[in-house]
Amino acid sequence: MLLKANKQSILFTLLLLYLGSACHPQQKKDEQDMPTPYHASTKLRHAEGFSIDYADDHARVTLHNPWSNRGEPYAVYYLYRSLPEKPPVDGITVQIPVTSLVINSFSYFEFLSLLGETDAIKGVTDGFRIYNPLILDKIESGEIHDLGDPFQPNLEKVMTVKPDAVISSAYAQVDSYSERLIQAGIPVIYSLEWMENEPLARAEWIRMIGVFFGREEMADSLFTAIEERYQTVRESISHLPQRRTVLAGDNFQGTWYVPGGKSFNAALFRDAGLGYRYSNNRQSGSIGLDIETVLTQFSDADFWFGCEADSYAELAEKDAKYLLLNAVKKRQVFNNHNRTTPSGGNSFFESSVARPDLVLADLISAVYPDALPGYSFTYIKPLEEEPFRE
Amino acid sequence: MNKRLTIFLLLGLLFVAAFVADIFTGNAAIPFREAWQALLGRSDDPIVLEIIRNYRLPKAITAVIAGAALSLSGLLMQTLFRNPLAGPDVLGVSAGAGLGVALLTMLSGTVVYPFLTALGSMAQVIAAVAGAAGVMLLILSVSARIKDSITILVLGMIFGYVASALVTILQSFADPDSLKVFVTWTFGSLGGVTWQKMPLLLSLFLIGVLTCFFLVKALNSLLLGEHYASSGGLNIKRTRLCIIAIASLITGAVTAFTGPIAFVGVVIPHFARAFFGTVNHRTILPGTLLMGSILMLVCDIVSQIPIANRTLPINAVTALFGAPMIVWIVLKRKKL
Repeated sequence: MLLKANKQSILFTLLLLYLGSACHPQQKKDEQDMPTPYHASTKLRHAEGFSIDYADDHARVTLHNPWSNRGEPYAVYYLYRSLPEKPPVDGITVQIPVTSLVINSFSYFEFLSLLGETDAIKGVTDGFRIYNPLILDKIESGEIHDLGDPFQPNLEKVMTVKPDAVISSAYAQVDSYSERLIQAGIPVIYSLEWMENEPLARAEWIRMIGVFFGREEMADSLFTAIEERYQTVRESISHLPQRRTVLAGDNFQGTWYVPGGKSFNAALFRDAGLGYRYSNNRQSGSIGLDIETVLTQFSDADFWFGCEADSYAELAEKDAKYLLLNAVKKRQVFNNHNRTTPSGGNSFFESSVARPDLVLADLISAVYPDALPGYSFTYIKPLEEEPFRE
Repeated sequence: MNKRLTIFLLLGLLFVAAFVADIFTGNAAIPFREAWQALLGRSDDPIVLEIIRNYRLPKAITAVIAGAALSLSGLLMQTLFRNPLAGPDVLGVSAGAGLGVALLTMLSGTVVYPFLTALGSMAQVIAAVAGAAGVMLLILSVSARIKDSITILVLGMIFGYVASALVTILQSFADPDSLKVFVTWTFGSLGGVTWQKMPLLLSLFLIGVLTCFFLVKALNSLLLGEHYASSGGLNIKRTRLCIIAIASLITGAVTAFTGPIAFVGVVIPHFARAFFGTVNHRTILPGTLLMGSILMLVCDIVSQIPIANRTLPINAVTALFGAPMIVWIVLKRKKL
């Protein structure tokens, strides 16, 4: 029996040896084509849209493709502190830390502010719609260039700014603008955080951009702090009875866009303990409803967030049908106009992605005024009461 | 010297001047000398090299092609339908291209996505060509059965309206970002044609133009009316099919690469007839090509003037800049 077992193990060892020797030359040949071993990767807690891992001399950031179910990445970045002679060909090579950026996506202003890297911003688009006072000052002084429309930026000017990279919103289509920049040797960092449906997942993208500045640890601790605050705020209402309901969005030329059940806003309503009629819906974008549907489905909602009007008088003037809503009758309507500029800048569009804790605190503080003592609204504002005639 | 030859020479000079000016002007302030060095490939600055050789030069060539093609298409339509208001868009081909792009933009986030990524930004061109070709085939199949050209004109416009209606429906379902992508396409842009895409655009254009030169005689006899032309031995049906095919091909190709560009196609043929004082296609066909190119180059230069840090959409510039020119000429000559 023992002999048999020994015989078997000897045979097995021989087989292994043979296989080993047979494979050896092949392996050597393959070594050059082998992908670089990545020995560490950053553990992400919420975000699903990207991943970060490390090899000896570089970091790799992979943006996953939210429109594809085949698993191929949207973009891969190889981040080197000193560029190698032969950079990988299957991605975009970037030398880090980046020191100059053109930003076409407003959410990144706050990420960069938190990281203390606003000095890297050399160009922006849609300058007149910016809220961040620091950036506005720099546009005024000429330190930051305004490069026009984010969908059709002034290409020649972008090239003369010579940024280390351009941050640009990615859509389901390859745009010829990004193609041209990449062709000109300017890396494009795609902004895809808006495809995440959870507020904390969007905020975690600070860790993605942090790598480009070599500030992983700082990004991680900043995000952890925001995550903790978000959870604390969420727990502040856990002991309260949660029976309030909510309406969101507004009527735009006959169509009222309300958030889908898998959207960022629906997740915030869930965490603020608000009942939302479409919470079981499976869409992550908006749902277009006509005003009749809104009136029948949401007439009882206690709160209305995301109204576009500034006062109840304005609301009544726009359409008297608004007055049929319970939220309007109870004067529990809020817009996102707390921090705006006259030319159309709104802090909500810039920093809410990076600061979901503040967005949630706004909602909770509006619904339960005693839940967060001493808190004053960041983004939202109750509609003004006077003058109002019903 | 022959008067027409003089006009051709002057237009030729103007064309060269406009082409050079288009390459040497832009938003990036590049001194003439440096730009010239870059054009010859001798510049040390990779950014200047990129701007001049890979951006401005293909953009100028695209302007030449687009201006010439749309004007030629307009001329063909005006001659075929004997209607002074006919233009490249009367057959619904531009609207068909628009429908193709709208479908692509609105559906790109769905199941068709994997097929699109492989194509990159060529996907938009292919969608527009498919849309334009769809309408074109419809028109061709109809025109093979109908005797009267005006009926074809009306049907073409109806197809155009149907395509536009479908685009509107798609837009009403679209999310704001897709909508913006599509609306940006409708602004028109000459800067989207890279060197990789140029051979396709150029060859479609050349096929159209060269075939046209063989049709000069037929086009001239059409001016006298279809009955007269057919009694003169012209095969009306075949000529008509040929003209419609060429006009759709070049309009579809240009619209696919640059987005819809209005105005040029309708107006330039009138310009050419007025300037050369003839309706003979032997003269106004090359005249139209040349003048169309010049107008588009000038419009491209104008569109680069930054207003509030934005370059103007070429589609708006052609009409805004072209209209006063026409009014001025009409007032001066008391007619076109």
